[in-house]
Amino acid sequence: MPSQRKPRLGRLPTNLTLTRLLAVSLLAFLAHASESARGGELTMAEFRELHQQLQVPADTPWRTIPWKTAMLDAQRTAAQQAKPIFIWAMDGHPLGCT
Amino acid sequence: MLDRESTFADPEIVNLLKTRFVPVAIDQANQRRQQDTEGDFYRKIAGQGPRSDFNGTTQGFYIATAAGKLLLYNNNRDPAKVRRLMHEKLAEFDASDAATARTSELSAAKVDARYNLDPPADGLVIRVQAKVLDGYEPTTNRWRAIFQSALSRDNLWVTASEHQALVRGEFPRSLQTRMARFHLVDNTRGEPPMWSEKEIRNIDMQIRDGQVTGTAHLETAQGKRGFEPSMLGVVEVDQGAVVRFDMVAKGDFWGAGPYTGGAPAGRFPLAISFTLADGSDLADRLPPQGSRGWLRGYLR
Repeated sequence: MPSQRKPRLGRLPTNLTLTRLLAVSLLAFLAHASESARGGELTMAEFRELHQQLQVPADTPWRTIPWKTAMLDAQRTAAQQAKPIFIWAMDGHPLGCT
Repeated sequence: MLDRESTFADPEIVNLLKTRFVPVAIDQANQRRQQDTEGDFYRKIAGQGPRSDFNGTTQGFYIATAAGKLLLYNNNRDPAKVRRLMHEKLAEFDASDAATARTSELSAAKVDARYNLDPPADGLVIRVQAKVLDGYEPTTNRWRAIFQSALSRDNLWVTASEHQALVRGEFPRSLQTRMARFHLVDNTRGEPPMWSEKEIRNIDMQIRDGQVTGTAHLETAQGKRGFEPSMLGVVEVDQGAVVRFDMVAKGDFWGAGPYTGGAPAGRFPLAISFTLADGSDLADRLPPQGSRGWLRGYLR
């Protein structure tokens, strides 16, 4: 009996140790994977979602207007096409800055 | 910001600008100062209006002929008013000699290098866009609502040597500092104060296996304004050049500047995206706001 019990008792802790080792390894792996996918509080999923959210759609009305960015360029086109110039003059560039 | 989402969101105004006008968008802080043909032509027009002191702002909407005759100055963005004025001035233009007379095209006889900035050769242009994610009090005010949902836009310029460092998988200190000082800002409600070097309490950015990670702590001496973002992103390199730079900085921001009032109370979440520009957007060619007046200081 003792001889039967001994190996059994002996196997139990071994199995537990292996299970613990596996669990610890899994946790360590998950922690590493999680850490490598995070930048502080940002996760890769948040990064992807926010990066997509923080893009201006190309069809936003003001972006469909063929703005010139130089007065001389506008002057030449206005002279060629006999059109008036509409100037949007701001503090900071109106197409960027803010 | 307000103009984009009000005046230039009006379908009729957009159509008029596309078909009947030559639209031009400028940072008048440059044109009213620059000593060249570009500046001379702007000052010729603006000088006929009420804001003819070029030591101060001349911002607003102008309508003018190619010969430089001012037809309209207006600093009211209400779409109905702008629409009415555009029609009135078009009728005035059509009835004038300007509609039929041949006007000489101006050439750039003089170019003031201080105000004609090009991105660094062999460097990169990265789009920067910011948004306040939460924290505003609910509002029914139309203009305040535009600010509260605003997405800002600026460009980050990267020098050739910094570009090559990124290719090698390094995030150079100069680029980290520039990013912190001029681009980790809340510019969603107007021109923001940039950070001084002393206000960078910490910034630490790294690239590992194509992934950008980092944290920063920016704060004024008195602690009235600050930002504590984390950064995460992706850099891809092909044939010795960066072909993808996507990054997000997100964290708590607090405080505001003289021209960015109306911020949420206390700490609020601010997110800023960085995206490699491909030249498809008109704004890709604009110099960074932080380079205005001192490109060397911006790029150092």
